[in-house]
Amino acid sequence: MGHQDGDAPPEANPDDTALKLQGISKIYPGTVALHKVNINVKKGEVHGIIGKNGAGKSTLVEIIAGITTPTAGKIFIGGEGYDSLSRIDARRKKIAIVPQEPQLILDFTVAENLFISDYTRWGWLINWQGLYTRAEEIVKKANLHINVRVRAGDLSVSEQQLLLVLKACYVEQSDIIILDEASASLAQRDEELLYRIIRERKGGGCTILFISHRAEELLKVCDRVTVLRDGHSISTKNCRELDRDKLSDLIVGEKFCRHIKVDQGQLKKDLGETVLAVENLTRLGVYQEISFQLKKGEILGLAGLRGSGRTEIFRGIVGIDHPDEGTIFVNGQRRCYRSPAAALGDGIVYLPEDREREGLISNLSVRENLMLNALDTVKRGLLLNRSKESRAVADLIKELDIKVASPEQEVNQLSGGNKQKVVVGKIAAAGPQIFLLDEPTRGVDISAKQGILNIVRNSLCREAGIVITSPGLEDLINICDRILVLHRGRITGEFLRGNLRESDLFSAVQGGAQEKCPGLVASYVS
Amino acid sequence: MPRKLQIELFLLDNLIWVLLACFFLLNALITPMFATYGNLVNILYHSAIMSMLVLGQGLILVSGHLDLSLESTLVFAPGVAMLLATRWLPFQLDPVTTIILTLAIGALVGLFNGVCIAKIGVNPFLQTLSLMIILRGLVLFLVPLSIFPLDKVYTFAGQARMIGNIPVAVPIVFIIFLFFHFIMQYTAFGRHFVATGGNARASYISGINTGRMVIYAFVIAGFLAAVAGLLAAGRQDSVSNTMGEGMVMLAFAGAILGGASLEGGKGTPLGMLGGALLLGMISNSLNLLGVGVTLVYATQGALIFVAIVLDRIRIKRRNYLLHREQVRRLLIQEQGG
Repeated sequence: MGHQDGDAPPEANPDDTALKLQGISKIYPGTVALHKVNINVKKGEVHGIIGKNGAGKSTLVEIIAGITTPTAGKIFIGGEGYDSLSRIDARRKKIAIVPQEPQLILDFTVAENLFISDYTRWGWLINWQGLYTRAEEIVKKANLHINVRVRAGDLSVSEQQLLLVLKACYVEQSDIIILDEASASLAQRDEELLYRIIRERKGGGCTILFISHRAEELLKVCDRVTVLRDGHSISTKNCRELDRDKLSDLIVGEKFCRHIKVDQGQLKKDLGETVLAVENLTRLGVYQEISFQLKKGEILGLAGLRGSGRTEIFRGIVGIDHPDEGTIFVNGQRRCYRSPAAALGDGIVYLPEDREREGLISNLSVRENLMLNALDTVKRGLLLNRSKESRAVADLIKELDIKVASPEQEVNQLSGGNKQKVVVGKIAAAGPQIFLLDEPTRGVDISAKQGILNIVRNSLCREAGIVITSPGLEDLINICDRILVLHRGRITGEFLRGNLRESDLFSAVQGGAQEKCPGLVASYVS
Repeated sequence: MPRKLQIELFLLDNLIWVLLACFFLLNALITPMFATYGNLVNILYHSAIMSMLVLGQGLILVSGHLDLSLESTLVFAPGVAMLLATRWLPFQLDPVTTIILTLAIGALVGLFNGVCIAKIGVNPFLQTLSLMIILRGLVLFLVPLSIFPLDKVYTFAGQARMIGNIPVAVPIVFIIFLFFHFIMQYTAFGRHFVATGGNARASYISGINTGRMVIYAFVIAGFLAAVAGLLAAGRQDSVSNTMGEGMVMLAFAGAILGGASLEGGKGTPLGMLGGALLLGMISNSLNLLGVGVTLVYATQGALIFVAIVLDRIRIKRRNYLLHREQVRRLLIQEQGG
């Protein structure tokens, strides 16, 4: 895959460059997150970084902020070169970062959270009055209406996020401010505040790195934008030369990468009866009025940005976080699960997106993890039949092509892709009738991804219905019979397998569908 | 994986038996009268009570929790059962019923702990700390000095000897350890139990009733503490109100030496047996060497410290070895590709 620097002037006068990345690579066990990325950020500009989920945006930003160290490459700040930065180095170089998830000390007041790294002091004592006064000034300056004496935990998530932006912009007095998906958790009216703060800081001579996966927002806020795709820096462009479609094409890539051999036109006609029907499922503030049906043998994709409610819908169905309203029908019978154990009893399994924390028991062996859900199938009376179990495990390992030295190997010794296959094997072993797969291809390399998608397409869906989400839309396009588009917690569109284009889907996921037919569920069936 | 790494990992995972063997050889050489039949039987006999607490504590650690109240359950269960059998009820209970009652009271105490922790969400440390104090206080109130003599049947498990002068307590303890080892390895329950401790969130999402597993853990531990109480009462032919005092901390040491970890999901019952035997062997050899009682206590404290440090070193070493292996494999891949 080629990568050029676009129209960025690489030989520009060094005083003009605030930050330069040269050949930055980051390898994680089993996957390459960044591959020789070059970026040149000018002083005083708002520089956007955009890419699909898993393109490497967050890793890149963490390297700049000194949170992770790169495997190779050099970072230049104000003309000085570094192999890697520590967080303290980065702070000394006046680089501030607002991370994706608001990270505050919830029991401290708003004012204290703002000044946690830099208390206003009288000698050894904290000057509380001064602290509150300064905090009030800052909050006022940003036109925010928050009482600085309340607990940070009492603010809404959106306000918490803004608070961190304020801290980075006004308290830390940084030269380079990184906003990592800062707008993702903002309420709509707070977005305008954010944009105003950005403009104000830019006027004050700050350089701002703005990371987002929303093309439109980026075009509105940024001067220049760098596109990342699969860990490569594709190009850097001036925003004036771009519109949303052009940017979408850059993000998705000219040629569609097809990893799986399936007939594009083939639409399964012989689907079984409806196994899962969801009606008006609502969890206030998270997802609203979600309705869909899933047939046996069908693969249904849920496409949506992070925070669009994909994960939460799954969790609602299996009974981890209960929905406020709505009904779930399994095989035509009304069901409401209180726990995943109850859902498993009806043959519904959920593959969580966070495999380390929620998917695997990392200090147990591959065998023990694989059979965790399916011990009933290898029981003889009360006891486990070890030889039957070994055979079942061997079959799973072979079918999923898991690379292990032995089934007794501890699962945390495997690479990311093989770990993910273990999780898939674990939920498949019980022989369920409904799979809810939340990003089964997240953070795995290309061959493991292909393997997992093949298994989903060719074997899992034979006896069951599947709902799946994926970090990459092309995965969904490749394997799904039907794709529902989620935007801000609502279903806003439906695509059927056929001649759909990735860029259409991409723009629908970005919220395009809503604009075209407000109030209606747009249909892209062709 | 290279053979050398495999061996090193195997030794780390079975560190307790390595320690036990080393300690045994050392003592056989320097401690007089250590390696005699009589003394070895003695070690086993004196380890029996502690080993039940080690197993109970160890299983709770495997499930990802801890229980301080075991040492009070140890005296509470036989104490209350005895009072019921001899004083509180209008009729006398026969000894076998009293034994069953003892075990049931232990299990009920565990059930109470488990329900409070799993269902109400009380912090296990605080829950069991309060119960430890409550139960001990109740026993001090109910049993001002001690209850004696006890019935022959009731003391059989703790006192009787069989062929070769081996105390009955020894095979009882071994059978219980083997039973739980078998349960943990060969039943769905055992596997769900270990998984719950290894990663409670993942287990819950996988469809395991994790709350129930935690409750079972406490019930089993309470039951085992009652067994320990039965053995202790039998050995001294009385129920005294100081039985079990200070034992729970040593039980932690034994379980951690035996491969359990405060992080949960680790350790096997047989490993814990090793931990309990090591504890017994150390106190026996200190006795034989003529070390004073007060110093023995300090030594046991030092032992807990050593157990915790060894556990950390073992985990660090293990992670280091595995990380090195991963990097090595990645490099091979890079060169190959």
